[in-house]
Amino acid sequence: MDFNFTSEQERLRKSARDFLKTECPSSFVLEMEADKTGYSPELWRKMQELDWMALIIPEQYDGVGGEFLDLMIMLEEMGRACTPGPFFSTIVLGGLSIMDWGNESQKKRFLPGIANGEIKITLADSEPETTRYSPYPISTVVTVQDTGYTINGTKLFVQDAEVADYMLVSTRTFDSGSIRDGISLFIVDAKSPGISLTPLQTIGGDKQYEVVFDEVKVLEADILGGVYDGGRQLDSILQKATVCKCAEMVGGGQMVLEMATEYAKERKQFGKPIGAYQAIQHHCANMLIDVESSRFITYKTAWMVSQNLPCVKQVAITKAWVSDRYKNVAGLGHQVQGAAAYIIEHAMPLYSRRASASAVAFGDSNYCRQVVASELGI
Amino acid sequence: MDFGYTKAEEEYKERLCRFLDEELTEEIARQNWEDLGVGPEAREFSYRLVAEGFLGMSWPKEYGGKGLSPVFDYILLDELGKKWGAHVPLDVGYTMVGPTILRRGSDEMKKEFIPRIIEGEIEFCLGYTEPNAGSDLASMEMQAVDGGDSYIINGQKTFNTECHYSEYHWLAARTSDFSPDVPQHKGISLFIVDMDSPGITIRPLWTMSGERTNEVFYDNVAVPKNRLVGEENKGFYYMMEAIGSERNQVFVPQRLSPILQDMINYVKETEYNGKALSEDPLIRDKIAQIAVELEVAGVLCDHSRWLEFNGLPMSYQPEITKVFTSELEQRMVDIAMQILGPYSQLTEESKWAPLRGRISWYYLHSFMTTIGAGTSEVGRNVIAQRGLGLPRSN
Repeated sequence: MDFNFTSEQERLRKSARDFLKTECPSSFVLEMEADKTGYSPELWRKMQELDWMALIIPEQYDGVGGEFLDLMIMLEEMGRACTPGPFFSTIVLGGLSIMDWGNESQKKRFLPGIANGEIKITLADSEPETTRYSPYPISTVVTVQDTGYTINGTKLFVQDAEVADYMLVSTRTFDSGSIRDGISLFIVDAKSPGISLTPLQTIGGDKQYEVVFDEVKVLEADILGGVYDGGRQLDSILQKATVCKCAEMVGGGQMVLEMATEYAKERKQFGKPIGAYQAIQHHCANMLIDVESSRFITYKTAWMVSQNLPCVKQVAITKAWVSDRYKNVAGLGHQVQGAAAYIIEHAMPLYSRRASASAVAFGDSNYCRQVVASELGI
Repeated sequence: MDFGYTKAEEEYKERLCRFLDEELTEEIARQNWEDLGVGPEAREFSYRLVAEGFLGMSWPKEYGGKGLSPVFDYILLDELGKKWGAHVPLDVGYTMVGPTILRRGSDEMKKEFIPRIIEGEIEFCLGYTEPNAGSDLASMEMQAVDGGDSYIINGQKTFNTECHYSEYHWLAARTSDFSPDVPQHKGISLFIVDMDSPGITIRPLWTMSGERTNEVFYDNVAVPKNRLVGEENKGFYYMMEAIGSERNQVFVPQRLSPILQDMINYVKETEYNGKALSEDPLIRDKIAQIAVELEVAGVLCDHSRWLEFNGLPMSYQPEITKVFTSELEQRMVDIAMQILGPYSQLTEESKWAPLRGRISWYYLHSFMTTIGAGTSEVGRNVIAQRGLGLPRSN
């Protein structure tokens, strides 16, 4: 048993933290929320120069060949800074998916471009009928024609669709009676005729879209891995994405804890720092318990994922816990910092808004607990 | 980063599990858990653990241990705990007293006590709390004065569990008078006292869940000077330096896993309106939440144990394990009571009692967990002050 990262990984964390502290203050994040694309090509280029996009791409595809845990560190730091832009969608939803499931020609076609920051990808999965989260109710259909395939349907909550060059799209290729079967994933050129985007306004301030596919043409070569195995692919893709989302939440929770603790030490009322009162101390202690428990369960699960151990239950446990705890930490962060933190320019609302967005991404805690229950055999 | 066991640890675990499956019964587990005394079956079980080489894995070779990593002893605690919440049969000596003797006791004291602890022969009871010294332990009043070859001890302890069957009292008493110039905690020493010393009177206190704890009265009890642990007036430091390790060994989340397993079985086997309770989404949600929190408690506990066995500084981390695990027990049992509905009130002796009456017993027991060994409130003060550097409130 070892809870330590390697010294190289610690250096990675430090350089990411230092970089984001300078390049991504909360004022910049708020500015990007107001921006149409929500992304700064300049910041993207700087991140690319630091090899962030290349981090986990294998060396033979022009990447650095890092491991999954390296990515966790990076995402934890990006969560800490609420870093805007399509990193998560491109690297986690696009890059990892192609690394794990793409065939050789797809890897050659996409991975070097992802590594050098030229290609941005996202995942289009959820649909309007998913009024409660589930990855499988897909009615976006693919029909086979002489020249290839045609996609029709509507996707929701698609991250960064406006800046994405490609979208990984889940489609129903046949109706087998089981909703998890008969799904295929296509890598679709986001600029294809027939694709239209409508931005969704969210409390998280991140960039999400409705994406409508109207007679969008794709080829057989665009099927992920060249196999009709979307259900299994989606399970694995979402499993990793879920753990990655937890890493982001851990970083955000840590930042809220630090802000609130700092404030509790400095803010004086009734002649004492408010942090000397037990009511405030207990709020802060609860935040620390929430953040540390979220961090260690996330690391353990990430380690299990990196070892290819079976982890359906573990991932659901982790997301259920971290989603709920990040929201709790945000609530306590507001309570400790009082009225000042209710003002829109304050950094605190950024985190409480992001906590709400993250809580429902890739399955909220209610969904996850139902998965846990099934895994317990009940 | 690595969350697995080594091959040797894995092998120890498998061998131990096979042994426990055959040898450990619910009756033995409960003798210790309910503090009713280490009965003949539990003594016999502890000798079997010794004979099979399961005890003393991480203890020094010179006193009869095997000199291996503490991970082995944690595996022992976890695997025992998975079976009806069992402890090491002789619990206080093995998990709390022994490590402090090793750290602070004289060579003579180590030779006298450590081998007998590892061999499951002797048990200790803690003698800390007094009627006027609970959360504010340093204000204890029991007096130990110099009587030549021995200390003469007078005063009263309370809530000293296991005293009525232990061989030794691990006693904290004041060796220097209260003085405005000296902080209270600098006048306390630790002693090992034979429980059959003349002048000791033990009176039972029965708890709401039927466990026995005790009041202990000292009336001119003579304790030989070689039974002073370490140096005079350093006792409170020894107690505090041991507290992290104690929490790591006493608050074992795995001891709660049998409740979860009982509840899983219950909801699968019990019907309402012609359907298994396990089909009710609300019940599924509640049981899943227990499983989530149990897994989280496990990783928190693993983290503070990992700090300990790597010799890294522990401050607030074992306190998190303590607060989290004790409060989890209350949340778990409360959920179990809700699921059992009207049957939840039935006690073990009653007709119709579900799950052998364990849940109603645990419910009554669970009021203690956030009080015993330090309240959750004091725990959170420690977490805030040591973990986050918030100022002391007084």
